[in-house]
Amino acid sequence: MFYREAGQYKATYEADSAKFPIFQDKLFIWAYLAIGFIAVPFFGNEFFLGAIMIPFLVFTLAAIGLNILTGFTGQISLGTGAFMGVGAYACYKMTLAYPDVNILIFIFASGIFSAIVGMFFGLPSLRIKGFYLVVTTLAAQFFLEWAFIRIPWLYNYNDSGAIEVPQREAFGIIVTGASASAEVRYIICLAVVVIMTWFASNIISGRIGRSWMMIRDMDIAAELMGVRPLYAKLSAFAVSSFYCGVAGALMVFMWLGAAEVESFDYNHSFEVLFMVILGGLGSLLGCFLGAAVIWILPVMIRDWLPPIVDAITPFTINSSQADLVSDIIIGVMIVVFLIMEPLGLARLWAIIKQKLRVWPFPY
Amino acid sequence: MELLRQIFIEPFETMIALPDLLLQTLWEGFVSGTLYSLIALGFVLIFKASGVFNFAQGIMVVFAALALVGIHALGVPAYIAVLLTLGVMALLAFTIVRVVLKPLVNQPEIILFMSTIGITFILIAGGQLIFGGEPKAMITTELGLPTGSSDWEVGGGIVIFQHIDIAAALIAALLIAGLALFFNKTKTGRALRAVADDHQAALSVGISLEYIWVVVWFAAGVVALTAGILWAAKSDVSFALQVVALKALPVLVLGGFTSIPGAIVGGLIIGFGEKLFDLYWGSPILGGGTESWFAFIIALIFLLYRPEGLFGEKLIERI
Amino acid sequence: MNAHDTSFHGRMDDGIEPGKALLHVDNISLSFGGVKAITDVSFDVLKGEVRAIIGPNGAGKTSMLNVINGFYHPQEGSITFRGEKRAKMKPYQAASSGISRTFQNVALFHGMSTLDNIMAGRTLKMNKNFFWQMWRYGPALQEEIEHRKVVEEIIEFLEIETIRKEPVGTLPYGLQKRVELGRALAAEPDLLLLDEPMAGMNLEEKEDMSRFIIEVNQQYGTTIALIEHDMGVVMDLADRVMVLDYGKKIGDGLPEEVQANQDVIDAYLGVSH
Repeated sequence: MFYREAGQYKATYEADSAKFPIFQDKLFIWAYLAIGFIAVPFFGNEFFLGAIMIPFLVFTLAAIGLNILTGFTGQISLGTGAFMGVGAYACYKMTLAYPDVNILIFIFASGIFSAIVGMFFGLPSLRIKGFYLVVTTLAAQFFLEWAFIRIPWLYNYNDSGAIEVPQREAFGIIVTGASASAEVRYIICLAVVVIMTWFASNIISGRIGRSWMMIRDMDIAAELMGVRPLYAKLSAFAVSSFYCGVAGALMVFMWLGAAEVESFDYNHSFEVLFMVILGGLGSLLGCFLGAAVIWILPVMIRDWLPPIVDAITPFTINSSQADLVSDIIIGVMIVVFLIMEPLGLARLWAIIKQKLRVWPFPY
Repeated sequence: MELLRQIFIEPFETMIALPDLLLQTLWEGFVSGTLYSLIALGFVLIFKASGVFNFAQGIMVVFAALALVGIHALGVPAYIAVLLTLGVMALLAFTIVRVVLKPLVNQPEIILFMSTIGITFILIAGGQLIFGGEPKAMITTELGLPTGSSDWEVGGGIVIFQHIDIAAALIAALLIAGLALFFNKTKTGRALRAVADDHQAALSVGISLEYIWVVVWFAAGVVALTAGILWAAKSDVSFALQVVALKALPVLVLGGFTSIPGAIVGGLIIGFGEKLFDLYWGSPILGGGTESWFAFIIALIFLLYRPEGLFGEKLIERI
Repeated sequence: MNAHDTSFHGRMDDGIEPGKALLHVDNISLSFGGVKAITDVSFDVLKGEVRAIIGPNGAGKTSMLNVINGFYHPQEGSITFRGEKRAKMKPYQAASSGISRTFQNVALFHGMSTLDNIMAGRTLKMNKNFFWQMWRYGPALQEEIEHRKVVEEIIEFLEIETIRKEPVGTLPYGLQKRVELGRALAAEPDLLLLDEPMAGMNLEEKEDMSRFIIEVNQQYGTTIALIEHDMGVVMDLADRVMVLDYGKKIGDGLPEEVQANQDVIDAYLGVSH
């Protein structure tokens, strides 16, 4: 009832092409930001921030990266995990070499390394499409996984083969390492995700984003309209991998604290792809929704399913079996969404909003 | 200079100095190559008939092998267990076609592909839930597969032929030949090729799409079971096999997605290539373990030069 | 035209006098494997005219357009556009030299709105870099809004204001064709190639489309080459007509000349060769 656009006229094209053309939408966005930056860290405990919110933000960022490539440019990738790894290892090496530099600078800089690697593995996309790209991105995945094990320089010759996050400060506050507080790490992740989401939405609504979507929807027509496939595809690979790289650096520095190759294996590539499919291909909002469902659902099932099964059936299940159950549920959800609503949760959300807009009339 | 020597001279010196090692490697490459071909064939069948790029083919291999071992563990005799496993694969084929593919007819290929990734996830988790995640031994002797080995003396050394490897190569070759005959000589095979050519036209002459799809998915299941038995007899039944099965993808890239001879030749190239590369170049220069990516990187390089594969047809794009 | 002036001009300024040849196609032959699609065809398109290419199905008409805008590369022959002879050319190069087109089977960007589809036609006119776009501020926002104004002019011209924000995939076929014309116009081409602009339309839609084509040609002076099956439309719109059959040119001239040509009549009625 309060969600109405009546009486809100747009007098300029600038206003008409704004991100949130309806006043109430703008209000909601500010409210979400206030909740995210103030209420959540104030009320959230260590577990909620560290084990739910931070990973959710990290995966959201990775999902935005993959969505730029798959949802907006139409190029499938199964190398997300490895590109995240490139960011994490790059950040680790840089901060070891220059311990005094603000770690946040390195977190962004690490994206540049994965952008370069991503462009290299994106090169074949100029000649091939679709499934063939699955093979080349898997090449990136397996080759980089191998490199993370076999090149000891990357993990600084640690006996464990893992990278361990050293303590670093930014603006005089400890932000990484064991003694960094969850609130600080959460705020940094949130700030990075908010800024990068805003950048992504700007790029997508401009010329470059349009050229990506042109390639996605009909590459031949795009070329005949003057889009150079080389630029469009490689820029998509670069931007996408940049996001994944930053997400990887955040994952290790703000969440895990230490990581080895398993943190970047191809299961993670799938996980992020699922977030994108479930949330909605070609939707930034979908990245948040997808990451929320795929990260939080298993946590809930792990906590709640075993006691429920204990109580109402003669069987017992342990938490790893509960994880398998949530995997099955996610797999089923993927298939069901592809059949019922290929554009995912974001599309459902848009339908609900449209209904609200004209309520109580059907249309 | 040293590196150039390591790349261009030393490997060949080693090959000449130790011919038995070379032959042994070639043989192992041949055996894994036939198995890659077999798995790739499962892909080709489904892709040809339904245009679905079945990402789940790899996990079907593991699932089939797990089901076989699991059913046998219930006390069912080995051969009956094979039959029951075939039943499981048929049921799986039917379910996938009915529940997933049929509602997705006429959707873009990318959607169908993603749905097979969803199926992969369900099968991985479901397989672990039902059969447990720990590696199991394949029921090799119970199935009457040979064990032991024969030696062959060459140039001062010996080459070892595991009997199971010989059997694996033979069985894979027989199955490939059998499938080729089936699809070229039988009525169902003809219908399948008609569907592969043009869905609409095939429908209009009264071919049931659903029936054909169930047949190819079942055939792919049979291929998966065979590949699973043979591969697991060499190592173990575990989910690690799934990653091995993914190597069928670069095989397809080399051979072309729709070509049966392509799948065979591609499989052999990858099989020989990765074993030779790892032994003579990967281990001495790069520190080993290159088999995990060699096939994919070869496919990537190959794609840059010949995107349509060795035997695929060059497509003329229309607009 | 100075760089900051982005109002709609309809076409680039190319310095070629009206009535002189804008495009020369010389002895083009094109084959796929063993199949000959076009055999030794030459023709020209004069600046400011409406040139029609007609012929039975499979005559090589669409292939000819594909050759002109660089999508197919002919084995023999050459193309001279705006006085520049070219050998091999990539489609985006053809686009940037001032050729734009529509397609036989509508080739819109189905995931995008009408507005974005027509904005897509302005791709070549926009050049603000990544870093400005990232902030959507300053020059990038300025550019976006200037081009939006041009696009709105086209939307108004084609009378599609109401579907501005609809996803094009949901539009009826006739409107999709119109949006596609808008997208081609947005590039302000010197030479506009239309591949069966009226296929599958009803009479009213055909009349609308004919009107738009005539207006584009007369108001903006855009040179048009079109393929069409509806002879009535061709005779009304075209200044000159070329006829293809089995990849060979069998007639060329004023509409009434072509109509009277015995080879053309045979080709359409299917006299055995």
